[in-house]
Amino acid sequence: MKLNFTYLLVLGLLSMIFIDENNDEFTLITKETQFEAGKNIELEFSGSNQEKPTLYISNSYGSSIIKPTLKLDVLGYKLPRAICERTGVIYWKLLSGSNKLSGKLSIYPKLEVATMETYLGPPSIEAGETDYSMLVVIPTDVYDNPLPDSTKVIVKHQFLGNLSEDVVLTRNRISFKNIYSKTISGRILVASECLDKDSKEYTIDVMPAIPTNFTISYQQNHNYADGNQITTFSTSIIKDRYGNIVSDGTYVQFFITNNSNNILKTSGTTINGIATAKMIHPDHEDNWIIKAYVEGIAESNEISLFYKKVIEDFEVVFSEDNRKITIGPLKSFMNQMIPDGMEISLSIYENDKKIKTLYKSSYEGFATFKLNANDFPNNMYRLKIKVAGVGKTYSRIKL
Amino acid sequence: MTQINKNILRSVLVLSYIVITALILFGLSSIYTYLNTGADRSTMLHTEIKKIDQYLPKLEWAVLNNEGRPMDGQTLNAIENDYLDAWYVKQVAYKTNTTEGIDDYYTENARKNIIHFVEANINNNISVEGTTLRHHLKLEFFSEDGQLAVLTDANVLEYKRVYENKKLLLETTETSTYNIVLLLEDGFWRIRHMTKEESRDYKYPPKPEKNLVSDIKGINYYPQATPWDMFGDKFDAQIISKDFKLIKNSGLNSIRIFVPYDDFGKANVKPEKLQKLKQVLDIAEKNQLKVMVTLFDFYGDYSVLNWTLNQRHAQIIVSFLKDHKALLAWDIKNEPNLDFESRGENLVTAWLDKMIKLVKTVDANHPITIGWSNIQSAPTLKDQVDFVSFHYYESLEELDTAIKTLKNEIINKPLVLQEFGMSSYKGIWKPFGSSEEDQANYHKKAQEIISNNNLQFMSWTLYDFIKIPKEVVGRLPWRKRAQEHFGFINQNGETKPAFNYISQP
Repeated sequence: MKLNFTYLLVLGLLSMIFIDENNDEFTLITKETQFEAGKNIELEFSGSNQEKPTLYISNSYGSSIIKPTLKLDVLGYKLPRAICERTGVIYWKLLSGSNKLSGKLSIYPKLEVATMETYLGPPSIEAGETDYSMLVVIPTDVYDNPLPDSTKVIVKHQFLGNLSEDVVLTRNRISFKNIYSKTISGRILVASECLDKDSKEYTIDVMPAIPTNFTISYQQNHNYADGNQITTFSTSIIKDRYGNIVSDGTYVQFFITNNSNNILKTSGTTINGIATAKMIHPDHEDNWIIKAYVEGIAESNEISLFYKKVIEDFEVVFSEDNRKITIGPLKSFMNQMIPDGMEISLSIYENDKKIKTLYKSSYEGFATFKLNANDFPNNMYRLKIKVAGVGKTYSRIKL
Repeated sequence: MTQINKNILRSVLVLSYIVITALILFGLSSIYTYLNTGADRSTMLHTEIKKIDQYLPKLEWAVLNNEGRPMDGQTLNAIENDYLDAWYVKQVAYKTNTTEGIDDYYTENARKNIIHFVEANINNNISVEGTTLRHHLKLEFFSEDGQLAVLTDANVLEYKRVYENKKLLLETTETSTYNIVLLLEDGFWRIRHMTKEESRDYKYPPKPEKNLVSDIKGINYYPQATPWDMFGDKFDAQIISKDFKLIKNSGLNSIRIFVPYDDFGKANVKPEKLQKLKQVLDIAEKNQLKVMVTLFDFYGDYSVLNWTLNQRHAQIIVSFLKDHKALLAWDIKNEPNLDFESRGENLVTAWLDKMIKLVKTVDANHPITIGWSNIQSAPTLKDQVDFVSFHYYESLEELDTAIKTLKNEIINKPLVLQEFGMSSYKGIWKPFGSSEEDQANYHKKAQEIISNNNLQFMSWTLYDFIKIPKEVVGRLPWRKRAQEHFGFINQNGETKPAFNYISQP
């Protein structure tokens, strides 16, 4: 009885092994496991019976199931084109039985460059040997697979007669090279080469670095405070610390401080390093102190400008019961009539209290005020007239 | 007579006039609304994409030590989000064999690969339901202009279910390593190149089993006023404290509680709910009670695309409580076998299996079980759980034999009768129901069988409930009434005769 039991057990075990083998009756015939991208791949298995299991495959992007073709006891699984063209590991599993036969294939890229996927940035950098732009090159084969690591990529760049070549190896599917600026501004031309395939030309603009301090000067026709002519301020050629002329359009602000400590502002942008700005002359004697800034970065020296008085004195004529006040002729430095538009003010006081200030612009050297009886009833008034910083007071004018 | 007719005519005219005006107004306003809908210019910049949690696999970043430009947190976060979204849209594409969303996360050249697969799978009637449960990302390179990044994603844990003609053909768990080149285009980090560098079948490393449960004498617990809503607004620590004292004094040593999936906030577990859960365990500790926490209750989806969210939910709760002294064991899911029919047994067990593995990686110290609703399902996944739990609501006559059969099948693991009980409802909806005496006899007998078989137990339940939510047993009154009367203590707070047999025969 005991023997019988042992016998049964052994038989049972044997049958289990047998069944197990039955499940694994397929063997892989294809010995190759490395394929070049684009080559047709067919996995072949030998199978003895008519079972036609499907094959599961999974590559870099997805998974699918392939049906076999049976030729003379050989099961052939033809991998779809799209899968044959994609590099990476393909994991497969034969869907038969419980112990599924599985394995790996790897597809390596075709060692021919079809495109040089190039990324260059930033496109403009600053002169001075510290700033740089980065060139990233991903050489890819005709099936859009990146080439394997340690592929040689030659990065070439040209700048002002200097041509340089660097060899970089791809790592993590990419190669990159930092291209540093020199001290001179200009344009760097970049290209790359990999396995005899050349990229197109790329450019990096090397912009001048930030401006350094500069000087300013002025031009004017005369230095009279006629409120009419224009003084032009201009900077010296503004350069960075390496002597590059700063980029066109650099914004320069001129701050003018006058005698009453008010600040006037004018501005300009550079062309070829020079910024100019204009300011109309004051209409009264004044002293200006001018300083220019590229805000937060550079500043100029201070210059000072003196504007001479043009009107020393003027005539005032009262008529029509003192209600019409004619001022003029206002004469300038050559006794010419002052240009139109000179501001004249008339302040009217009653009992030492200012009632009103009237303004007029000169016209052909004269200005006329008419005091309305409704606004200014008959009384004694004090009148104060001011032209180009020169004042005249009439204390007791009867209207 | 004519007068009346005229009035009727008038009112009909007036009414129809009003109706027609209303209809015209409605039509005009619909046209106006329609013309005012449509693309908003701001959407061109993709700045307003709402972040919803749809794919949250466990993801670890290696310490940043990349070539090129130093990485900042915000960009890294953007890369991570878009990279995971790329996986998500790919999984959706292969599940549904459509290419929705692929354009946003793959560059023009890269997306061709996915389109090829979708086309091939449509032709062969293949669909693949997949997910990734773990990613280990390393930033290799970030370009100076911030437009290109290279990542390595090592040992991505991929789970796939391959269907042919809607029939499951293969279930596979693989681990693969990818090299990925991403480009910043239109505000998206898009996959430009993706190369699988390594791939193999994944076997989870064996974890030591924890046969630590012994001598569980417990009860399934809900507060009387808030059954199936223990952590809601009416959460009251004092009531729980009082109940736990009562449980302890009745000779029991443990309780079983339930974490409702939606109520806890799914993948985004709400901190206030976690606090309440911890409070319950604190009170249990004070009363020297151990707590078996059921991680999933009121959950029945199991779809592979949601696994990452489920696992995130479990991971947060388990890592939050794993060092608590009152913790007894993790019950993965309450009565998952009830979903076998609607969701497929294979899918549900796969979900449970992966969930067990996740819980083990987070907490290696506490034993794990599954609360099967009947004794027939109990052997399912017996090699994965640390002890086997089952519920029993059938006749006690067969319990003894059933246990003996089960013991033959499960030799070296403890068995826990995790739910059993009897309703003492006898009334208009169930005139031939059991009385309170019947219930007492039932528990006496059950306790005898338990002690004869050396079983551990958790009975159902402490209280007769006043209001049962419709999600539990549906709306049918005879079911509801019966479910209300499983307690050892009645609705007025008085102990029923069965209370004498709550912890021993």
